[in-house]
Amino acid sequence: MESLVGWLDANLISILNGVARGLLLFTMAVGLSLIFGLADVLNLAHGAVFLLGAYMAFQFAGDGTGFVVAVLAAVVLGVLLGGGLTAALRPISGRGHLDQALLTLGIAFVLSDIASIVWGNDFRSVPPPAFLRGSTNIVGHAYPTYRLAVIVVGLAIAGAVYALFERTQLGAVVRAAVEDRAMVSALGINVGRVLVAVFAIGSALAAFGGVIGGPVLAVNPGLDWEVLILALIVVVIGGLGSIKGAFAGALLIGQVQSLGVALVPQLAAFLLFGAMAVVLLVRPEGLFGDVTA
Amino acid sequence: MDQRKGISRRLFLQRATTIGAAAAVPGLLAACGSGVEEGAAPTATGGTTPAGTPTGAATTPAATASVTETATETGTESPTAAAGEPLKIGLLIPTGGVYASLGEDMRNGFQLYLDQHDGALGGRPVEVVEEDSEANPEVGLRKAQKLLNEDRVAMVTGIVSSAVALGVRDLFHEAQVPLIISNAGANDITRAAKSPYIFRTSFSNWQSTYSLGQWAYDNVAQEGMYVIAPDYAAGAEDIAAFRESFEAAGGTVLTGGLPPFGTTQDYQPFLSEIGNAGAQAVFAFFAGGEAITFVQQYRDFGLKDTLPLIGPGFLTDEGVLEAQGDAALGLRTSLHYTPLLDNPTNSAYVEAYEAAYGEQPTVYTVQSYDAAQLIDLALGELGGDTADVDALVDAMANIGALDSPRGPFEMDPVTHNPIQNFYLREVQEVDGGLGNAVLEDLGPFPDPG
Repeated sequence: MESLVGWLDANLISILNGVARGLLLFTMAVGLSLIFGLADVLNLAHGAVFLLGAYMAFQFAGDGTGFVVAVLAAVVLGVLLGGGLTAALRPISGRGHLDQALLTLGIAFVLSDIASIVWGNDFRSVPPPAFLRGSTNIVGHAYPTYRLAVIVVGLAIAGAVYALFERTQLGAVVRAAVEDRAMVSALGINVGRVLVAVFAIGSALAAFGGVIGGPVLAVNPGLDWEVLILALIVVVIGGLGSIKGAFAGALLIGQVQSLGVALVPQLAAFLLFGAMAVVLLVRPEGLFGDVTA
Repeated sequence: MDQRKGISRRLFLQRATTIGAAAAVPGLLAACGSGVEEGAAPTATGGTTPAGTPTGAATTPAATASVTETATETGTESPTAAAGEPLKIGLLIPTGGVYASLGEDMRNGFQLYLDQHDGALGGRPVEVVEEDSEANPEVGLRKAQKLLNEDRVAMVTGIVSSAVALGVRDLFHEAQVPLIISNAGANDITRAAKSPYIFRTSFSNWQSTYSLGQWAYDNVAQEGMYVIAPDYAAGAEDIAAFRESFEAAGGTVLTGGLPPFGTTQDYQPFLSEIGNAGAQAVFAFFAGGEAITFVQQYRDFGLKDTLPLIGPGFLTDEGVLEAQGDAALGLRTSLHYTPLLDNPTNSAYVEAYEAAYGEQPTVYTVQSYDAAQLIDLALGELGGDTADVDALVDAMANIGALDSPRGPFEMDPVTHNPIQNFYLREVQEVDGGLGNAVLEDLGPFPDPG
């Protein structure tokens, strides 16, 4: 018992940090998952949207009000990019996954290069809002206050997304369309419009994730691929098209990256893919994947 | 039908993720992007390319001479290597990733010297050909081959990463093309793997770190020293050299961490381990973007107030200080340069650099400035003639002292590594900003070779 308390005390910060990272990842992965589930598109530009959100933070977030401006700018940008992506994908709808993936990959490269031209290749650090700077004492351990705020905001986002897709009519339509687009369309619902909405919401969430992630991550033109790969892993682990899956997958990956690395630092580079391999071996459809989805 | 569709989708996603996972291997995705343009660029990875790579030169069709002579003759140089002809110099630096700012500094420092000397070195107008090494040994080797074979440069300078330096060493040695490294500190380059054609105007990893051990023992902690550095060639060498000197002084190193290089976004697991391991002080080697992240997180996780943090001065160089802000204040590091060094050469240099680029110079700018100076003086002795490579490298090896902003600088004719002083610095508020003020001159540290 005592050893358990000791263990918890030693690893409390790692666990807490895993939650913060996981929730941050969730804002990114949930959009990717829903877009894939509904539109059948693997949106490889999703990471670039996150990156642009992070650059909005770098651009505007000098102080508290700046942070609000950055969030607004990122959300607007995300909605626009989401709409633009749906428009770009429309002409090749039905041409198969590979064509769509290639198109979004191309768009990702373009967005990434634009970011590189505008903001350079340097690592940019984003200061947290003034009132969230410094650290908070958690049972004798210092933990950055801003990351606590990330946990709070992340939980709120997760709750809002859950409510939106599980408790509203739009959510019901989206879930139905994930199951069977043709049937929903036959009921007289404009699936195309639902698609735009999901793309816009998903991209806005990614851009928002970029803003709140800005002060935690080093913002640079390679960040988009790093987070995209993490989000893909989350989606695979969680099961596609599932909000619960994205949530569970993101929290799991957060812990792997934080607690896992703290416990076996020698395996830091391997743990992530190791975790994915284990989940796929045990449950190929993902934690919350539906076999008939 | 639904079921089939679902399964194919899932299969696709899994495959896509596998591809993505492969892409996560550092730089691969980016390498794909630029590799396409390279087209047929060979990707020799062994590090040992066949001798005489640049002998593709059509200038010596009567290839009866020995291999060595052929390589020397052509030496990637156009037939007319005489004074007045443009001199092509390759600049191999990273322009993206964690070391992007270092590459930019090196370009600026080299360019400043050129600008101060009418764009000429040793009487020859210089044409700089820049390539992006991506701080990745494989990419670096490919780009170095391109510089030698396609651009046919007379010499190459730059190189940030120790891993890249080690990767291209054989290429330059066998092609007999001078390489003037203006950062990468890999020890072997001026020790076991030293080459008559390779010089360094920067430092050896041993040098930059060994200088700190005795001082740390006397001033920081005698035991419980936690050591941390990124997991690549330079990180391992820095930790080894620090251990060597710290333990020689009587101290004991506690344990350490090697976070993955270039991809670690969050040092929290390591910072928590530092707290749990009962460390009394921390030695860290980080540079560029990683130095910013590490120093900030060291403060954010509450370690700055309780445990002294020391390391080679790259941790708080002028290129990262502004971004680090208060998190860097008070940190003590050791390095062979700071813009606050009090000597006339440095004062003029700082003034000229700030006028040209609107920011403080860094150690990387000085190392590249001195690389240009080394080329200029050696080539000047030969009247600008690069045809005889052996005479050129001989002139470089025996150049003696350079008038460097860093103070005393002497090229060691045996190791080709500078003999220079190291300074113990502290981050202080200087003129409304942050700067590395000199606390102590630790004296000269020649690499033992």
